[in-house]
Amino acid sequence: MEMHNRKKCGTGVLPPVAPLANPYVPFQRENPTTYQPRKALVRGTLYPSLDLPFMGMVNNKEKAVTPLTELQTLAFVIQELALYLDTHRDDKDALEVYCEYKQKYEEALKQYEAQCGPLSHKAACCGKEYRWLDDPWPWEYAANRGV
Amino acid sequence: MFVYDKKLQFPVKIDRPNPRLASVIISQYGGPDGELGASLRYLSQRYSMPFDELKGLLTDIGVEELGHLEMVGALVHQLTRNLKDSQIQDSAFAPYFVDHTVGVYPQFASGTPWTAATIAVKGDPIADLTEDLAAEQKARVTYDNILRLSDDPDVNNVIKFLREREVVHFQRFGEAIELLREKLNKKNVYAMNPAMDM
Repeated sequence: MEMHNRKKCGTGVLPPVAPLANPYVPFQRENPTTYQPRKALVRGTLYPSLDLPFMGMVNNKEKAVTPLTELQTLAFVIQELALYLDTHRDDKDALEVYCEYKQKYEEALKQYEAQCGPLSHKAACCGKEYRWLDDPWPWEYAANRGV
Repeated sequence: MFVYDKKLQFPVKIDRPNPRLASVIISQYGGPDGELGASLRYLSQRYSMPFDELKGLLTDIGVEELGHLEMVGALVHQLTRNLKDSQIQDSAFAPYFVDHTVGVYPQFASGTPWTAATIAVKGDPIADLTEDLAAEQKARVTYDNILRLSDDPDVNNVIKFLREREVVHFQRFGEAIELLREKLNKKNVYAMNPAMDM
């Protein structure tokens, strides 16, 4: 019965015994259409159905491919999938995609750290020098140059 | 426990400093609907949430909001770097400058320091999640308003990203309310407070 109601909510129809005095937001349906990762990052969502820009102001230009933007792109897809799975824990397909992107992230992380230095404090011990402190820090202009 | 990733969630690269814009964008750092309040609201509401989906969602969105706080701080920082005296003297940024120079301080655009009075933790899941829906909409409108005030594409790319995140978070909080309703007595979710009575 619960799944039955969920499906109906997914199409925007309230269940027959919908209680009043409650906010209703329709459930995003399972297996939602997704953007390609790099497009998802600049749009701010993985899901075209949730992409609702203000006054037609759309980020069309994708970020240049750098070790940093590669990491940001994969981390963003993972974050979007995590929030989706938080409310759709039984969607096995989404979980599979989540695991796939987690692996891609691990690979991109290795490349990033080899080229750009440690991303986390714990990774700082992998070399001869303590590189954790190396400038630039993320909020600085120089850290985002070239993206 | 929180660990730090030495990267922003989304790149912030502002070519042209613009103190006027910094003086309004600071509101999303420490203003009434800003990212500091967002993160503290969700991370604080977690404790009285009765179901694992709700605990997880508030944790995951609360942590993301901390990442947004850092992005807004980066915006303010880069918009106020290498300023000339003339850029400060004749700018809306002067009142902020006299108190905080080019430090990043959590305050409203109107100057009031960040206050916990702008967030709510009621300790009842329906009340708190309904607050969260409104909070996401208010943050979204603030970003709309910043887009009306800014014609800098470097700034707007970041603001559009942050604004869209509010839309996604609204959707997830709405779904969380539906999940809560599935677990409670659908006919009367007010029959008790599941944070206390279950």
